[in-house]
Amino acid sequence: MPIRRPLILAALALGGLLLSGKANAQCRSFAKNRCVPGLAPYKFNESFNSAQLSPGEEAEVNLTFYSGQDYRVLVCAHPILGEVNWKLVDVNNKIVFESLADEPKPHFDVKMANTMQMKLVVWVPQQPAGQMVHVGCVAILVGFME
Amino acid sequence: MRMNKWPFLAAAVLLTACGGDAPAGEDINLLNAADSAMQADRLDRTRNIFYNIPSPMETAALLQKAGAKYNNKLLNDVKNVDTYTTASDQALNMGVYGADLSYASVFNHTQESIFYTSCTKRLAERLGVLAAFNDSTLEAMERNMGDRDALLDVISETYWNVDAYLKENGRENISALMVVGGWMEGLYIATQVSATNDSQELRQRIAEQKLSLNDLLALVNSYNTGDAALDAVRNDLIAVQELYKDVVVEVGSSSVTEENGVTVLGGDTPGATLTDAQLSAIRDKVAEIRNAYIN
Repeated sequence: MPIRRPLILAALALGGLLLSGKANAQCRSFAKNRCVPGLAPYKFNESFNSAQLSPGEEAEVNLTFYSGQDYRVLVCAHPILGEVNWKLVDVNNKIVFESLADEPKPHFDVKMANTMQMKLVVWVPQQPAGQMVHVGCVAILVGFME
Repeated sequence: MRMNKWPFLAAAVLLTACGGDAPAGEDINLLNAADSAMQADRLDRTRNIFYNIPSPMETAALLQKAGAKYNNKLLNDVKNVDTYTTASDQALNMGVYGADLSYASVFNHTQESIFYTSCTKRLAERLGVLAAFNDSTLEAMERNMGDRDALLDVISETYWNVDAYLKENGRENISALMVVGGWMEGLYIATQVSATNDSQELRQRIAEQKLSLNDLLALVNSYNTGDAALDAVRNDLIAVQELYKDVVVEVGSSSVTEENGVTVLGGDTPGATLTDAQLSAIRDKVAEIRNAYIN
């Protein structure tokens, strides 16, 4: 029955859209309840950067850090994903900070002597073939000291 | 015999989307890697890029550190709130009022903070994002009038809720307009303050907005053209970017040192600055754009 497949695909697409909105709301809730407290005593900069990632996927955020300011950078992944990898690189792609899944660091605290732009890259380690694929929220948060 | 798994997968997706809540705060979807068409789709989009624009609160805190003074005459009049009838004007001015709110709050003018919270709440209601406001936001602000830090936390959370709510509901263009309105108001306040209360540090902060402006344009450009309001603010941003063309902002090397156990980055680059002519041109253009947004 050739007509069934397009219908099923349309249903899947609609379901996926609804699911996506719900997953995003859950991601916000996760970030707010589980991640933002980790910024203390820094003040959250209010930028909501999060993504639903699965193994092998990555996300990146361009960040500007201002001279004279103290910052805390935090990457927070849902436990279903396990530990994730993340790094901060400067405009020349030089690694400034790196936290790897097998040796995770909770956050990066830094005092800026110069204004700098950096890119934060987070990626979820690949899983062995045949295992269940987990999709989970990864939040990238920045706090500043007032 | 090969089993057709599509109907089961479709049913599972629809059931999860329409009801059957996952435990609060959880966000887990499990798919079988061998079967999933979704996974193939996801693998086509492995890179997710975000743009981090300084929030109004962060900008106001930078201004305060730079020695700026508070001047309530610079803020958008609260009486204007009822004149914004289109969604794009409401979104832009929610950003403008949000920046005014942050400015008033960081400088500890709590009564004005409450007025500006009312304005943002009214615009949020018209934009259909009132759900992002906690029912007790205003009450919490009134309760914390004497506690600046608690007040700033309430405002931060509200701003974050609104931005996240818009993005979660597929209204990124409205979110982008709000961010542009807030950024423009922050730069308007900074440049106006510099006219009467000039300092090298303030000029440096204004010059450094060149970096945020590039990110802001990238954010706006990441949305499809065809939205007239977004196209208009894109042109505004390009006009300001043109004035920043010759402003030199050295972003510094990432040399790492340590100070009392804390990592220190950079230290070998002079701070950015602006000539009088550059500052004056940026001040005039930003005032022209901002005044068009609020009137």
